[in-house]
Amino acid sequence: MSYEMWAEKYRPKSLNKIINQKEIVDRLQSFAKAKNVPHCIFAGPPGTGKTTAALCLARDMYGKGYREHMMELNASDERGIKIVRETVKTFARTRSIGEIPFKILILDEADNMTSDAQQALRRTMERFTETCRFIMIANYSGKIIEPLQSRCAPFRFSYMSKEDQDRYLRNIIEKEGIKILDEGYDAIFEVSEGDLRKATNTLQAAASMGKVIDTETVYSVIGRANPADVNEMIKTAMKGDFLGARKQLREMILKYGVAGSDIIKQIHTEIFRSMLPDSWKVTLSEAIGEIDFRLVQGADVEVQLSALLARMTEAGQELKRGG
Amino acid sequence: MSTTWTQKHKPQTLNEIVGNREAKQQFLCWLKSWSKGIPKKRAAFLHGSPGVGKTVTVETLAKELNMELVEKNASDYRTADAIKRFAGLASQYATLFGGNRLILLDEVDGIAGKEDRGGVRELTNVLKTTRSPVVLTANDAYNPRFSTIRKYCLVIAFKKPTIREGVSHLKRICAKEGIAADEEALKFIVERAGRDVRSAVNDLQALAQGKTRLAMEDVAWLAGRDRKEVIFDVMRTILYSRDSWEAKKAVSSADVDPDMLFHWIYENTPYHITDPHDLVKAMDYLALADIYRKRIRDTQYWTLLKYVIDFMSSGVAVSRQRTKSSGWIPFRFPEKIRMLSRTKGERALQKSIGMKIWKRCHISATRSSKEVMPYLKIIFENNPEMAAGLSNWLDLDEDMIEYLAGNKKQTKTIVAKLA
Repeated sequence: MSYEMWAEKYRPKSLNKIINQKEIVDRLQSFAKAKNVPHCIFAGPPGTGKTTAALCLARDMYGKGYREHMMELNASDERGIKIVRETVKTFARTRSIGEIPFKILILDEADNMTSDAQQALRRTMERFTETCRFIMIANYSGKIIEPLQSRCAPFRFSYMSKEDQDRYLRNIIEKEGIKILDEGYDAIFEVSEGDLRKATNTLQAAASMGKVIDTETVYSVIGRANPADVNEMIKTAMKGDFLGARKQLREMILKYGVAGSDIIKQIHTEIFRSMLPDSWKVTLSEAIGEIDFRLVQGADVEVQLSALLARMTEAGQELKRGG
Repeated sequence: MSTTWTQKHKPQTLNEIVGNREAKQQFLCWLKSWSKGIPKKRAAFLHGSPGVGKTVTVETLAKELNMELVEKNASDYRTADAIKRFAGLASQYATLFGGNRLILLDEVDGIAGKEDRGGVRELTNVLKTTRSPVVLTANDAYNPRFSTIRKYCLVIAFKKPTIREGVSHLKRICAKEGIAADEEALKFIVERAGRDVRSAVNDLQALAQGKTRLAMEDVAWLAGRDRKEVIFDVMRTILYSRDSWEAKKAVSSADVDPDMLFHWIYENTPYHITDPHDLVKAMDYLALADIYRKRIRDTQYWTLLKYVIDFMSSGVAVSRQRTKSSGWIPFRFPEKIRMLSRTKGERALQKSIGMKIWKRCHISATRSSKEVMPYLKIIFENNPEMAAGLSNWLDLDEDMIEYLAGNKKQTKTIVAKLA
């Protein structure tokens, strides 16, 4: 019995196996061929192949022993300036043995790095260019400080089209011998919105149920995979149930480990999509901005967001009054 | 006196250790058998709830039998590497006379499982080959993670002493400290400590140090003085007085931990200040108090504490403007603190699963808890075979499997397929 996460098992192993992102792949292939890579930023939404492209580039360039020439660091687990000082520097300054004189350092989720750490990286990047090339991976390139951006070649990844996603999933489905209805494909695309990791994980979880995959299976997977819902919490607060909303908030933070920054980002988006009068949207946005800043400073996530929930409760009441 | 009574009055002979006559005897026999050559079981596993005298038995016997005691802390043997490092110690004959060394691995509850599956394997090797007696202690030797280890050990259970035995131990201490103590009072202490001798001794010290007499009144007072009542009084003033000065005064005179009080106020305010407009104000003040708590933590400028107190007491008190009183509402224990302690293990487990996923899936532990784990949970609940395969692939231990599978039955099914 051999099972892996399919997202890993079917992760392309070479640049020419990557579907979609044609222009990017072309350029990366030319890097691999020339055996020379500039510092790069791979930016784009989750599940669009950024990490895969970086790994493939390393593999295509160094061949089989590629792991000895690259290091993968995850900024959200190991962010902070200490990592840059120690791990990154040690790795970057030692010369690689072999035909290609430099190593590759993949900095995943680089937009989660503190700006201090990013500043520290600036010098490291420059000093050790001879021996190490950086690939910074981020959802938002805007969160990467300007000086770093200017040292890197930018690559913008975009969501997978439905045809491409279906093609990719079909390959897995055939190899794993899964039964799926056409509506299953549609449902997976609808919930994954072109995020291939999410699509593949959804497919595997749906397949684990051992039935033919249809719309219903996909939705039951998604329903269970996203128990904590910011939208629900906002609705509860607007309905006037502050205590209920605070409870949902608590569960999100403590039980499901959702980051405060993620919650506030989503609240911000939702507020502007809501039916609230414009003046209220701006008032709330002001509060959201202040609290976002406090969270960055390290205040308590639940206490701060509760203050925001209280405001939403108030807004909901005003709305009911027609104010 | 700065030493604790648990240290100062530590038993010096085996007889002074309360209760567990049989267990002590069994352990003594096993230790003595080493003088006739290496016994079949080269390790002893003492287990029982905290404060029943496991460690002290080992220490006392080592002294009585004139053995050199080498004590290892939990951190010394958590991982395979760490165990390898001290394995050499066990592989040698200790002294010229042989077998005169006793190796104690205290509180092995922390070993393996989460960090390192190799740890158990390495430890088992040590237990199989050691040339000096090895003693392990843990709260529960029948935890499944010890199943392999157990095979190589003489398992000895330590039970809680009876109340009488506990009382006699306290009496001995009182005699040495020159305290005339009522039997009743001592009995109360032992009962209250749940027959955990160590904690009973600590309680005794807190209540009786510096006194010459200890009566029931001295002890009963402890039970009657419930800290909750103090907190409730303060909160009543804050939530209902509408008076900034009164509220502030209530906090400063109450002598309760301001951090704890903050949690109580934060928990209870929305139940009592219900008008949305008032609530916005009150929660804003609490958020502000939180900012100052954070500033104190960062800078250690404790002078800022007065602002924390201002905002959480006066700030909340004056927020009450439109809210109407609606009869008696009970105060609640801070749910956040309850949940924090309840979910602590869960979060640690989540993190360690996250690290496993990170090793395999090129995704950070943080993000994997949202983007991979929920799907794993579905798979583990539905498909034991796929779950077993994934457990192997990710190198998950049983605790992790149980977390993902959600219940013991499914865990068993999955683990059975692992082999």
